Amino acid sequence: MSVLVANCPSCGAPIEFKSGQSIVVICQYCHSAVARTDRELKDLGKVAELVETGSPLDVGLRGTWKDVPFELTGRAQLGHEMGGQWDEWYATFSNGWLGWLAEAQGRFYITFQYPIPEGTYVPTFEQLQLGQEVYGLPWPTKLMVAETGRATALGAKGEIPYLLTPGETYDYADLSGANGAFGTIDYNETPPLIFLGQQVTLADLGITTTRAPEKEERRVEAAQLGCPNCGGPLELRAPDKTERVTCPNCNSLLDVNQGKLQFLKALEKPWFQPVIPLGTTGEVPEGKMTVIGAMARSVTIEGTQYFWSEYLLYQPQIGFRWLVNSDDHWNYVRAIPPGDVYEATKTAVYNDKSYRIFQDAQARVEVVVGEFYWKVETGEQVRGVDYVKPPYMLSKEVSTTYVNDPNAKKKKRTTGEINWSLGTYIPVQEIEKRFSVTGLPRPSGIAPNQPYKHWWIYKYWLAFIVLLGLAGVLAFVFAGSTSQAYSQTVNFPALPNEDGTQVFFSEPFELKGRRNIRIVGQSPVQNTWVYLEGDLINDETGVVQSFPIDISYYQGVEDGESWSEGGQEDSAYTSSLPGGRYVLRLEGQWERWQQPAVVSVQVEQNVTRGFNFLVAIILLSIGPVLMIIYHIGFERRRWSESMFGGGDDSDDDDD
Amino acid sequence: MLKALYTIFAVGVVSLYSVAALLGWEISGGSRHQLPPDARQNGYRSFHFWHYGLHGGK
Repeated sequence: MSVLVANCPSCGAPIEFKSGQSIVVICQYCHSAVARTDRELKDLGKVAELVETGSPLDVGLRGTWKDVPFELTGRAQLGHEMGGQWDEWYATFSNGWLGWLAEAQGRFYITFQYPIPEGTYVPTFEQLQLGQEVYGLPWPTKLMVAETGRATALGAKGEIPYLLTPGETYDYADLSGANGAFGTIDYNETPPLIFLGQQVTLADLGITTTRAPEKEERRVEAAQLGCPNCGGPLELRAPDKTERVTCPNCNSLLDVNQGKLQFLKALEKPWFQPVIPLGTTGEVPEGKMTVIGAMARSVTIEGTQYFWSEYLLYQPQIGFRWLVNSDDHWNYVRAIPPGDVYEATKTAVYNDKSYRIFQDAQARVEVVVGEFYWKVETGEQVRGVDYVKPPYMLSKEVSTTYVNDPNAKKKKRTTGEINWSLGTYIPVQEIEKRFSVTGLPRPSGIAPNQPYKHWWIYKYWLAFIVLLGLAGVLAFVFAGSTSQAYSQTVNFPALPNEDGTQVFFSEPFELKGRRNIRIVGQSPVQNTWVYLEGDLINDETGVVQSFPIDISYYQGVEDGESWSEGGQEDSAYTSSLPGGRYVLRLEGQWERWQQPAVVSVQVEQNVTRGFNFLVAIILLSIGPVLMIIYHIGFERRRWSESMFGGGDDSDDDDD
Repeated sequence: MLKALYTIFAVGVVSLYSVAALLGWEISGGSRHQLPPDARQNGYRSFHFWHYGLHGGK
């Protein structure tokens, strides 16, 4: 139901205000922005034709948000002062709400205007610093400044809920918070207007199939154009998003404006050639994407320039992603909301995972090849900070530009943005497979977020130790208790001479098979020794198991302190013997050969002994211990490349 | 590759330990011999046999 139907003051065509909250309506015949006032309709001037951005939205589209139906009643296209544009859609809700749905780079943010709480001071645009928190806003999460800039009203369609004047500019700041929180401070009015909300998907808005088939076709279709400098053929693979493209024939850098190319400058023949050719399509974790651009960048650390390359991937349904190739290591990179990252001095936290700082340097664009969604320039610089938690890397890029503004009080002002991205390490072999390329150079060093490949050894180690423990417990339970097979006190007469021996043979006794044997010898020796050479002899089979018993015990007092060494008991273990009757033979020698010797001897079976268990643990641990040494070296090599290197070697991976 | 090697090795160690526990095997320094048939017939309790026969003289 229309609120107001009238005629356009410019061309006389019928215009219609459907929403009571609309201030301006764009005449669909002459593109005049017509504002309604208390008394009359006012022509604000003509707006430009909307640039086709491939948006899935359109005026008249309906959806729901928080169970409240809405209709998109207007659209404004705003120009970014660094190039490019974004759309703002106005959602009129059935309950009277008015929502702003911003669309940029395939992402959507719904916001609503909030009054500034009493007592809250909103910083002026000049006071704002990138990354600073804006306090006192009526939102449950902290909000930080992610971008500052100046917007220009370029084009519009439908009904607009504010006084949109074509060509008008205003300052704004975009805010970002945890869990996709998003906000804008609009400095078009004083005090500024506050819009708060969050990042959403079309599904969140109840919008599913919105795009007309022919529109979809146009969006994904590449455009064939001619270079305005050399006339050579040039293909735009993302015609509705590209802002800059290089000519593959003459290396000119071209500006892309609504599908028209404009020569900017001739670039030198690039020394950098993408190892994945432009136009190559590959399967990345989120789907199939095409390489549309590549650039070489560098940082200079302690006088040394380090280079790496970045490949821009595009797919209309996914948006933009990056493949980063540094020292022949590869990362798949996607942008993440700045407000989702909590940054401390040397760490950053994202998704409850803590990342350690690795590098902080000024990155410079050296070479550009292909298409880009922003007005890229060689020499463009950003401050880049990398945090790592293998296999992930969090990267912050802060771009600050000084803009000359002769009309403003402050002639020079800064504009800029903070971008965070999350990189995931991908082995070079996988890149080759996914992008159907061969012969990519193999890395030799360790990448900052290269995962350590052998974490499994620790899990396996633990698993086998537990298994061994279980086997030990079962063996103990099923073996039964220790049994005594023989016990005797032997009185050896004095030896015939110093080198002589005395021999004792026992009565036959029974030994059971499959049970280990312990022979314990005890003698009341004091500061002397008794040595027994023992044998267990099977009368029937002739098997002889030899064993030594060495009893020595010394004690005394030295410098007022008592000491002792050895003991009056010794034991020997032997493996099980075949079950049967055995005779124990003991041949004894002792230091005080002139005196007789008394030895008590017991033969026991089924004795619990941890020696085999200990040997098994040692054997199981040899491999893991070697791997720990290798792991420490691996981490040292990783952090030796960091300007924040050293320290903790136990950086854990999310393998 | 390393995983397979370690797994095979570790399974071997745990199995060997289990078999040793089951059969009463011990790691020990003692030696095992077989009495010669003639020694069993003639009597192995002689001093001469143990010193010049089985243990090879000591």
